[in-house]
Parts: sequence; C-alpha cells; structure tokens
Amino acid sequence: MEHAHGLHLPNSGHNRDDEASKMGMWLFLFTELLLFGGLFIVYMVYRMLNHEAFLLSSFELNVWLGTINTVVLLVSSMTIAMSITAIQKGNSAQSIRLLMTTVGLSLLFLVIKYFEWSSKIHHGLFPGMDYYNNLPKGEALFFFLYFMMTGLHALHIIIGGILIGVVAYRTKKGEVTSKKYTLTENAGLYWHLVDLIWIYLFPLFYLIH
Amino acid sequence: MTAVSTHLNFFQTKKGIFSWIFSVDHKRIALLYFYSLITFFLVGVTLGLLMRYELLNPGKDLVEAKTYNQIFTMHGVIMIFLFIIPSIPAVFGNFFLPIMLGTDDVSFPRLNLLSWWIYVIGALMALSTLLFGDGPADTGWTFYAPYSVKTGTNVTMSVLAAFVIGFSSILTGLNFIVTIHRLRTPGMTFLKMPLFAWSLYATSWIQLLATPIIGITLLMIVAERVLGVGLFDPSIGGDPILYQHLFWIYSHPAVYIMALPAFGVISEMLPTFSQRTIFGYKAIAFSSLAIAFVGYFIWGHHMFTSGMSGTARFVFSMLTFLVAIPTAIKVFNWVATLYKGSINVQPPLLYTLAFIFQFMIGGFTGLVLGALATDIHLHDTYFVVGHFHYVMFGGTGFAFFGALHYWYPKIWGKMYNIKVANVAFVIFFIGFNMLYFPMLIAGLMGMPRRYYDYLPEFHLPNMISTYGSWVLAVGLILMLSNLVAGLLKKNQNVGRNPWNGITLEWQTLSPPPLENFDRMPEIPLNGPYDFEHKPEIKD
Amino acid sequence: MKQNKDHSEEGTAHISSFRDHWSTLVTLLLLTIVTVVISVFGANLAALSVATALLIATVKVIVVAYYFMHLKYEKKIYTWLILLVVVLFAAFTILTALEYYNR
Repeated sequence: MEHAHGLHLPNSGHNRDDEASKMGMWLFLFTELLLFGGLFIVYMVYRMLNHEAFLLSSFELNVWLGTINTVVLLVSSMTIAMSITAIQKGNSAQSIRLLMTTVGLSLLFLVIKYFEWSSKIHHGLFPGMDYYNNLPKGEALFFFLYFMMTGLHALHIIIGGILIGVVAYRTKKGEVTSKKYTLTENAGLYWHLVDLIWIYLFPLFYLIH
Repeated sequence: MTAVSTHLNFFQTKKGIFSWIFSVDHKRIALLYFYSLITFFLVGVTLGLLMRYELLNPGKDLVEAKTYNQIFTMHGVIMIFLFIIPSIPAVFGNFFLPIMLGTDDVSFPRLNLLSWWIYVIGALMALSTLLFGDGPADTGWTFYAPYSVKTGTNVTMSVLAAFVIGFSSILTGLNFIVTIHRLRTPGMTFLKMPLFAWSLYATSWIQLLATPIIGITLLMIVAERVLGVGLFDPSIGGDPILYQHLFWIYSHPAVYIMALPAFGVISEMLPTFSQRTIFGYKAIAFSSLAIAFVGYFIWGHHMFTSGMSGTARFVFSMLTFLVAIPTAIKVFNWVATLYKGSINVQPPLLYTLAFIFQFMIGGFTGLVLGALATDIHLHDTYFVVGHFHYVMFGGTGFAFFGALHYWYPKIWGKMYNIKVANVAFVIFFIGFNMLYFPMLIAGLMGMPRRYYDYLPEFHLPNMISTYGSWVLAVGLILMLSNLVAGLLKKNQNVGRNPWNGITLEWQTLSPPPLENFDRMPEIPLNGPYDFEHKPEIKD
Repeated sequence: MKQNKDHSEEGTAHISSFRDHWSTLVTLLLLTIVTVVISVFGANLAALSVATALLIATVKVIVVAYYFMHLKYEKKIYTWLILLVVVLFAAFTILTALEYYNR
C-alpha cells in the first residue's frame, strides 16, 4: 500500500506555484473589470439618452472632494507597490509600515466618501427618498448610478483594506518573506484594480461639465 | 488483480460524509456535482413532464395559467443554471481534466470545493422560492424587465440565486484555465492536449469573462425591485431593451458554455470508438476558441423583434452567420473521423451519433432563426423552443449521457449491462425526437411559446409531443436504472482500458487512486490520438 | 523550464526601486491635475471634454498597470490577455452604442 504514495507527479496541483497564484489573481481581476464593465455600459446608454440631465446632475458633485480622493488612492497605490519592493528586499518591518499606510489611506478615502454621501443623502438624493422620487428621470438615473457605482467601489475598498491588513498581520508572523511574497503581490494587484476603476469613475461622474 | 488490490482507490481512502463534502480531491468534488446535478435534472424533467401534460389538450388539463408560468420558469432556471451550465465541465471536466493532463489535481483544490459549496447554496436559494415568499418567479428564466420588476412573485430570490451560482461558474472556469496553463505533464504542449481539455479551455474563458455581466445585471433587477429606481421600467424612466442587451451579452456566450464541453466529449469518444486519430485535430481545437470568441458578438439575434434599431439588427444577423463556420468545421471533422475507422458500436458511440444528428437539426434551425426575415415570423414561437432543445438537450444532454456511459467504467470501476443500455438509448432517442420535432412544426404553423393554452388547430403536434415526453421518460428511467444496477454489481474488474482508449485516463487504475496515477503517465508520440504509437497499457 | 518540480524559484522577479515608484506617482498626479484643470477651467470643449477626460484616464490606467502592476516585467501573455479583455469590452460597448445611436 505504501508505494501508492510513492508516485510523485512532476506538476502536482498540491505543489507551491507562485505563478499559478498570480495568474489566478489576474483572471479574477478580469471578472472584476467586467462586473464594473456592465455598469459602465448602463452609464453610457443612459448618458446617451439623457445627455442634459447627466450634465446638470454632475454639477451637484463636489469636484474637490473627488480630486482629493483620487490623489489619496494614487498615493495608496504607490505605498502598496513600495511595500512589495520592501518585502522583496527582505525588509519586513518597512513592508508592514507601508501596508499599514495603505490601510490608513483607504480609511481616509472612506471618510471623505462618507461626508460626500451624507451630504447627498441629506439633500434626499438617495434612491427611494421622497426628493429623489420627484427628480426628473434622467437625473434620477444619474444619482442611482452614482450611488451604485461608487458604492460598489467603496465595498471593494473595504474588502481591499481588510485584505491588506491580513497581509500585514501575516508578514508580522513571518509567513510572508522575501522568498514568499505572492500574497503581498496579489493584494497589491487587487488594490491597483480598485484604483484603476476609480480613475474612470472620477471623470465620468465629476468631470463631465 | 494484484495491482488492484495493492492500491486504494479514491473511494476507499477515507470514509464518511464529511470526507466527501469537505474533500478537496477533484474526483470526489466531481461526484458531488454529479449527484447534485442529477437530482436537479430529475426535478427539471418532472416539471417538463407536467408542462407537456398541461399541453396535451387545448384548455385546462392540470394547472392554472399562473402555475403554468411558474412551472416553466422553474424548469428553465433549474435546467439552465443548475444542470446544463455546470453539467459537463463541473462533473467530467473536474474528474478528467487533471487526469488527462497527467496531474493529480486542479491548480486550486480548495477553491474547487468552494465552487461546489457556492453552487449548492445558490441551488438551495433557487429551490427555497418553492416554499417561502410569494411563490416561485413566473417571468421565464430570462427575467425580462419590466415584468420581472413588477410581478408579485419571488423574483428577487430567484435572481439572487442565479447571481450566486454565477460565482461558482466563474471560479470553476478560473481554476481550469490556470490548471491548463500550469499543470500539463512534461512534454504535453498545448497542441498535444486532448480535445476535451481544449474545449474546456475555451469554455472557461467564456465563464470567466461573460458571467460578471449577468451578475451585475441581476443585481440591478434587485435594486430596481427594492428601491423602485427606473432602471429598466419605462414607466419610471428606464429602458427595458437595455436589460435585454445586458442579459444576452452574457446569455448568448452562455449557450457556448453549454455547447463547447459537449463538443469536447464528442471529440474524445469518436477516436476511441473508431480506433483512429481524430480528423483535423488543430481545426477542432482552434474552432473551439473561434466559437468562444465570435459568440461574444452576436447576442443581438435574440432581440430582433424587441424594437432594436434596424442597423443593429442587420449587423447582429450578419455576425450570427459567422459562428456557423467553426461549428460546421467541427461537424465535418467528426464525420470524417469515422471514415475508414474500425468502428466499435457501443452505447457511448450511439449517443455520439445521435448528438451529431440532433445537433445538426439544432444548428440548421438556428440559421433559420439567425436570418432576420425568417426570425420575424418565427420569434417566440415553438420553433424556437424546438430549436434550443435540439441544441441543449439533443446536443449537450446527449453528450452528457454519452460521456456518462463512456467514463462510467473509469469512475466506478464497474460496467453496466451493454444490451440494456442500447435498448434504453433507442427508446430515449425516439422519445426525444417525438417530443421536440413536432414543436418545430407547431412553431412554423404559428403557435406562440410560453402560453398555457393553444388553438385547436395545434392539437396534433402537441399530442404527439406529449406522448413523446412519456417515451423519453421511459427511456431515461431505463437508462438510469441500468446504470444504478451496474453499480450494485460486486467483484468486477473492468481493467484499466475497457474501450481501448488512448488518452491518459485509460492508463491508470479504474477507479483511479487518490493521486490519479500509480505509475508515470506516458504520452503518445505524435499528439493525443496517435493510435499507431499508443503506449502499451498493462493491467 | 515549466517542468520543475517546484515552481517557486522560477525566474528572478524584477525589483522596482522606491525612486521608480515616486516618479510613477508624480506622473499620475500631473495627469490628474491636467484632467481637472481642463474640466473645471478649460470648459467649452463640448463633447470633446468627455473624450479628453477618458483619454487621460486611459493613459493613467496604462501607467498604473505598466509600472505599479508590474506588467512591464511580466510574461507577455498577461499583456495579451488584458488586450483580449479590452477588445471584448470595447466590442460590447461599440455594438450597444451602435444600436442606440441608430434608434
């Protein structure tokens, strides 16, 4: 019976395979892109059909808060890219510091988002509220898409922040090292994707004056 | 026998229910999928028989109109999302892809288990609408707006179920793509992979890239129902045709998620039962990719009568005809494989031949529907119902049961009664054609689909069709009971290679050991179907 | 090369320096300033303003993917696969836009 376990296949699914993990992450990012892609198609169609209303509604959004959030995300993209450099060079402590900076920036993004959303909700612009229900159809669609797309994006920020926190914790425990840092890389890829989507959301909602 | 007794097969390594439902072994996960799929398939068949019974005579036979609407919706949701989309990839893909590539598992075994759990949770959500809330959805499996955002039935839960099951599909596709890229045995290049692996590769890309679109679309239906936003409902500012676009951007490629794995299975069985290399290996391999690619650009042909712009209808109709090319390439190659082969008529080959015959009827009626002018006449008639059942059931369904008969001795290490299997096949085949061919005629006569009643002039085709459904049911019961009877046999030894096949799964024990192979798999010299240099397989 | 028993040691990964990361960030911030300035103060580009904004966004996305996401140093297959996804999504939008544009 023993020699049944003797056969070791060269390419086993149970071997460690960093390249496979990375490829899996990229494929997952593709699905995320298309998930948002569906919403971008809806945005495009309704913008074509309600051109003026979309223009008018976008003036309601605060360009400066949007710009600040863009900068926050870009900086956080850099800090997580740096944390990969740090772990590759074997500097765990620095890597953890950079990861935690990224988490901090993600929280900052969410706080700013919170103030933005609450001022909109204060005006009754959230779907289902009385003021919203009396809006012209095109503007109602704009605000629905605004809440749906930035909301889904914020959800990704939360998930990404938690993921990066886990990576920092595991780096501290010594499970992520200069020889084994795929986890950091994959968290980085995910975080960059969140950034990429924001790069499109920002002009489409805030800058179409 | 000595070789068999010294190795524990994957059934014997661990016992107990938890060693199954938490197993990360791709073979066990495949069987988990198989048992769940077959259960849902039988539920779907029962609902189908109920529908046919209602349509036996004009007027009410059995159920009310609303119940009928709910039955055909459940039939569609179960058959599409719970049976045919996962069918071949999740069962036979999971079981045989790693073995055919000469490896011991998929790239992400735990993710594979997660996919099955997600599938089960989604399935339970779908079935829960039968018991809780305001009754199952009555919208049809397409959930077309604006009806789906207005009806009082439990659409929200059905839609969320489809959303959850989509994740299972995505994760399986992701797993297979990485497995094919990373785990092929040394020496097996892409062009030495079996064609089943190629078809799964193409399928996985569709699962990965098309499913997210339906996910987000279904979420929008939920948002519209819960928040009352005018996304798709025209009375509050939405555009219902946009829903159809988004739905079919996924659901047309999904047709190829259902069909491509069947092509792969057929391409495995034909060489084995002709004992010669497949004709046009590269043509079949690349046409799978071509079908997957072109399939993304033709969704509009489901919407010719929706009020879509004329230009778009013209463009989509033209593009639709493109997909006929790679499909025809496959059919010609399959038929050419039989030419001058040493044909061995066994149950799997019978299913293969029936597949080719029925799939061609499905394909040709598809061209009729893809042509803009004829589609205006035939849209939403029984012609469409006949067409897609010929493709989905006559094609993929028959390929599924063919594959079951083909790999049965490898999976369970036992053999069913061949004669009974042949008889069951004949009854099944006759029943199938009796059931669906009259639908094509009724459709040409103008009978609309989805109605629970019809005019008296459609009585004859409906009667034949309902009788056919009973013949089909008899064939199905005979087939399945024969397979179950085979499992109950004791002390059988079918050997490693009962069909004299050539792909790697036939080199290992039946059933395979936990690690899949008891000795290093050997790949044939010139490609996967090189019967002239077939590695010798000793028991 | 793929036949190694353990894939963990495959190739040596490129290590980007902190300096590289800083310059990438500066590029991205400059592009952000340009797009905001065009939108808020430039005005009067009418329909072009959306096109410009999307063009700048696309440049930013390419910079992020190429440097932060290490595409520059990855195997070529990743670039091809991303292009495939982009082509598909472009086809979805173009075919849909074609329909609505000709209503």
